[in-house]
Amino acid sequence: MPDRHVNDAELKSLAQSGEAALWGHLAARSRQATSFSELFFLSTLRKKAKRHTTESVQPSLRLALIGGYNLYPLHELVEHLLAIRGVECERFLGDYDNFVSEILDGSSPLYAFKPDLAFILPNAGRCRFSGSLLDAVEHQREAAVGAAEHLLNLAQTFIARSGAAVILANLALPGDLDLGSFRSRTLGADWSFRKAVNLELGLRAPAEVQICDLEFLSARRGITAAEDARAWYESKQLGSPDFLVDVAQELSHLIASRKQGPKKVLAIDLDHTLWGGVIAEDGVEGIELGDSSPRGEAFKAFQRYLLALSERGVLLAVCSKNDHARAVEVFEKHPEMVLRLEHIAAFKANWDPKSDNLQRIADELRVGLDSFVFADDNPAEIEIVRQFQPQVEGVLLGPDPAEFIGRLQAGRHFEPRNVTEEDLGRTAQYRQERRRTELAASVTDMPAYLASLEMRGTIKEFDSLDLPRIAQLIARSNQFNLTTVRRSETEIQGLLRRPDYSCFTMRLEDRFGDSGLISVVIAKIEGGVFVLDTWLMSCRVLKRQVEDEIMNEIFRLAEIAGCATVRGIYLPTAKNGIVAGIYEEFGFMRTEDSAARKEFELKVETYQMRSTKIRVTRRAYEAS
Amino acid sequence: MKQAEVLAKLQEVFDGIFLEKVAAKPELSAADVEEWDSLMQISLVIAVEQKFRVRFRVGEVEAARNLGEFADLIAKRMEP
Repeated sequence: MPDRHVNDAELKSLAQSGEAALWGHLAARSRQATSFSELFFLSTLRKKAKRHTTESVQPSLRLALIGGYNLYPLHELVEHLLAIRGVECERFLGDYDNFVSEILDGSSPLYAFKPDLAFILPNAGRCRFSGSLLDAVEHQREAAVGAAEHLLNLAQTFIARSGAAVILANLALPGDLDLGSFRSRTLGADWSFRKAVNLELGLRAPAEVQICDLEFLSARRGITAAEDARAWYESKQLGSPDFLVDVAQELSHLIASRKQGPKKVLAIDLDHTLWGGVIAEDGVEGIELGDSSPRGEAFKAFQRYLLALSERGVLLAVCSKNDHARAVEVFEKHPEMVLRLEHIAAFKANWDPKSDNLQRIADELRVGLDSFVFADDNPAEIEIVRQFQPQVEGVLLGPDPAEFIGRLQAGRHFEPRNVTEEDLGRTAQYRQERRRTELAASVTDMPAYLASLEMRGTIKEFDSLDLPRIAQLIARSNQFNLTTVRRSETEIQGLLRRPDYSCFTMRLEDRFGDSGLISVVIAKIEGGVFVLDTWLMSCRVLKRQVEDEIMNEIFRLAEIAGCATVRGIYLPTAKNGIVAGIYEEFGFMRTEDSAARKEFELKVETYQMRSTKIRVTRRAYEAS
Repeated sequence: MKQAEVLAKLQEVFDGIFLEKVAAKPELSAADVEEWDSLMQISLVIAVEQKFRVRFRVGEVEAARNLGEFADLIAKRMEP
């Protein structure tokens, strides 16, 4: 939640006096800005204030914007919204309406710029059905498919030539009244044709092409407010100044979330959040929940939304100042509860400070606090958590349950880049984990426990079908991640064809269920050395001998590749301390030791294969 | 509305959107003010249209060569 509202005059004076407090306010207000005038004001302030400060120079993003519209001043807005998120960028602006030849001509300035990412903004007005309104629908649909494929082919040509990523805009819909209700009886009208093209674009886009949904954005603002004929005739603008803000907000969100994955855990309060009233005072019968009152209905709808989040892979945790037994009773007994105990991955209802409980939940789920969102109706609790657990993102739900869903969504914390099979089963996996923990408590020695799990592992070279999950793990893993090298899907795809790389994943199942794809290794073969560029693992499977099987596989593949030595790299971050010593545990010798980088080596001939309780049913680069 | 009155109200708009003090005089043009780039131009037109409750027609604003002409245009569009 943003800080208290600061008005324009206060913001101006903060900027003029060069106070550091400016930046937080500037960022919060910029993220929420929906009008051109406001965003322009904030961007001007930032530029002014920046002159007085010396900022550290970080590697900046090379961003190309190309398309069928004038990209000025859109790019200025994007630059501002990225800067307040800490992403500096170098920009390339394509010539107006020249993007097709910029992409097709390998010697164009677009490629000379060496972009990391391109935003392609096709002109909606030029995307029309050329036949008659009365042509057969199948023929019209084919034309829409053709138009979509044309754009996707351009995007893929660009990716193949540049190695950069692409965000491709779809088409805003026209607000013309012209055809009347006939517009929906054909696919030949601009209205229905563009809708068809957009559908095909979204459904056909490969994983490496991300869609920026202009149709949605313009519908959300209202087509007549998004369109601006005068701005088109005067300076070839995409739409009204305010619509440029919508597009810039969306684009900068998409860009920023490429490197920072979505949050994983939503910790929620109970009283006045999941239901109306206070359970400790009102009792199970007295709280407001369910279809018998408008407020009760709103709370129930909020629970339904939370359930949908959990089904998509967000872990729900209860974090409430409450009597534990009374709180649990609601989940067990109230007939209108949508959320039940089985949907809650961690449950903390007690009288300790919420900041302490959040820490306990993080430890229990083995998820870092920086992947947490905390939602509460009470501003004081949000403030306390902000002070004591600043990594946790707070969402103030406010006093009206009808607004809860909107307020939670406004933070955009849980939007998936891709929905993977793993996401859909995540809460179930944490429930399995609890059963494993119970089993561990009943068995006295570790080997017996591991044997009783009946683990089966599958090790496999990178496969394009696994790409979304591999990309997700690479983007999200922080703790068991030796080098924290982030790679885009395009980059990972590129590795599939490289003979000088060995890349594999491991999946794990046991008697309690399938943990899915849980580890990723990328090794580069450099002469006789097998260099471990990336090794990461989901913390859910720590201490289950997965590390041992991974290391066995590393040495097996190193030998097959003809390498005499395996070299491990450890790049310390604030979060990956748990793996600082892992190479030495396997007998590696340290060969480089600076604060920022440590390297370790072990001869292939001296490595002793470890025996584990995991039955490995398939190995990498083997026929299955 | 006379040009002088329009300029007085334009001064209020300027004070709201320029960070530096810019005096709204008839002979002023965008080239005289460092902050006045095309982004600022869009903002200025939005602010003026809101303040005076007018809507300029396509191409009109571009044709005004200085603030005096812009003020005259505003006055013209305000006519019933």
